[in-house]
Amino acid sequence: MKRRVVLVDDHDLFLAGVRAELGDAVEVVGQAGSVADAVPLIKELDPDVVLLDVHLPDGSGDAIINAVAPDRPGVRFLALSVSDAAEDVIAVIRAGARGYVTKTISGPELAAAIERVATGDAVFSPRLAGFVLDAFRAGKQVGGDAELDELTPREREVLQLIARGYMYKEIAARLHLSVKTVESHVSNVLRKLQLSTRHELARWATEHRLV
Amino acid sequence: MPLPTFAPTSDERVIAGVCAGIAQTLAVDVTLVRLVFALLALAGGAGIVLYLALWAYSRRRRAWLAGLLALLAGSLLLSALGLSDRAVIGIALIAGGLALAWRRGGSFRPDAPLSYGGLALAALGAVALLSGGGAPSALLAPGAVAGALLLIAGPWVWRLAVERDAERTARIRSEERSDMATRVHDSVLQTLALIQRHAQEPRRVASLARRQERELRGWLYGDQPLGDESASLVAALQAAAGDVEELHGVRIELASAGDCPVDASMGALVLAAREAMTNAAKFAGVEEIDVYAEVTDEAVSVFVRDRGSGFDRAAVPADRRGLAESIEGRLERAGGRATIVTSPGAGTEVELHLPRRAS
Repeated sequence: MKRRVVLVDDHDLFLAGVRAELGDAVEVVGQAGSVADAVPLIKELDPDVVLLDVHLPDGSGDAIINAVAPDRPGVRFLALSVSDAAEDVIAVIRAGARGYVTKTISGPELAAAIERVATGDAVFSPRLAGFVLDAFRAGKQVGGDAELDELTPREREVLQLIARGYMYKEIAARLHLSVKTVESHVSNVLRKLQLSTRHELARWATEHRLV
Repeated sequence: MPLPTFAPTSDERVIAGVCAGIAQTLAVDVTLVRLVFALLALAGGAGIVLYLALWAYSRRRRAWLAGLLALLAGSLLLSALGLSDRAVIGIALIAGGLALAWRRGGSFRPDAPLSYGGLALAALGAVALLSGGGAPSALLAPGAVAGALLLIAGPWVWRLAVERDAERTARIRSEERSDMATRVHDSVLQTLALIQRHAQEPRRVASLARRQERELRGWLYGDQPLGDESASLVAALQAAAGDVEELHGVRIELASAGDCPVDASMGALVLAAREAMTNAAKFAGVEEIDVYAEVTDEAVSVFVRDRGSGFDRAAVPADRRGLAESIEGRLERAGGRATIVTSPGAGTEVELHLPRRAS
């Protein structure tokens, strides 16, 4: 069955482009151009996946996630953006988005990412992997919840390979793991990113305006 | 009667641009005008009030206010010269009355309609002047003059200051806007023009758009100004990637963790990375290249990867060995190392590793 998708972006031209690129791969059931329009629409349509721009005219993507998630826990969010100041991206991920891809992604890749998010996996673009590695820089951490506040060496390795442009199955082959294991490493990183109270994460987000 | 006009100039202004405006109209040095006003200001503050009068006058809508202020300036001047209060009031009344008459009638020609109020005022002034005798009376204490002046001019000076602040903010904003316009013109509009010209070449259009996007993003979200490529490693890599994209019509996805300033050996690393990107663009036969830069306290690593044709290092043609040399050799000279992992059909990954000098 095709995944039911809602698009949220204020650029009509871009929306039309995404629709055309996705073609028949998914079923686009609705679209909205603002936070105010998107929230009731998503609640009403209850789609599998919401493709979400990080910046909207009346707020940011995390506002939509925060408003929808309590009522519709089954809806997954995938951030899709060109405007990627690191702290904005991290904010959307911490609000609950299952991944982040850049708008230059190709149609088939985007369809694959939607499928992955719909099944509960995480989607990390190379750029997001770089942001996350930077945010979880080794050392310096004293006290706190070590399990949530540090990446394991293996997770770090997986993220580095994502940042270098490797796909999951390439990473699996290189590290002699199954693709499922790679996916679970990435999901763990996402969970840590969302749950960690590591104060460096917040500080990092405000200090670094890396692109 | 046509009045001489002048406009306050914002170019050379110190307060409201009145002196500068007058200097421009009369074609004299602005310092001279300022000196005159300063001297007049010493004469019981007449210069300051005159300045305000001219400022109000230059703003058209406040002609009546300008007149009142000019009257006040004249009175101050006269009393500073030593005329008695009565005489000053008398002269002021005459001047005010004549001004009123002129305003009502529009001229002093005999057939013009008369302003009886104005004439009455002037007559009253004349009586006051004549009965006062015009003899110098005791000079007012400078403190009293200053106090009165402060009461009169204080609110105005304060308002001037406020308006000046607002105007300065507006000026800064408009300068920022024009700076923005220049940048947009230099980069975005030029790119759009190029895109229109190359509409038939999708690859070139895509690379132009990518490069522009990268540049704008660097400017909007980055720490360094647009076009400043020497500020940081990531900025330098971005610039290199942009150049390669434009030259070879490929897409380069740049990710990074951390950043650092660029010194000489870091510069060599950037050049080697650029060479690796160029190689991938020319020989791999793919449209997308991934570049990842990782900066830690100890070292910098840059990975340049493609999923292209790859090659057998033992069977590289001489010209390509030269290129590999310019990557590996360059890194060695800078104190690092380059590792090239490739095999036919399996793509290529170049890893550049450079320890950071303790500094």
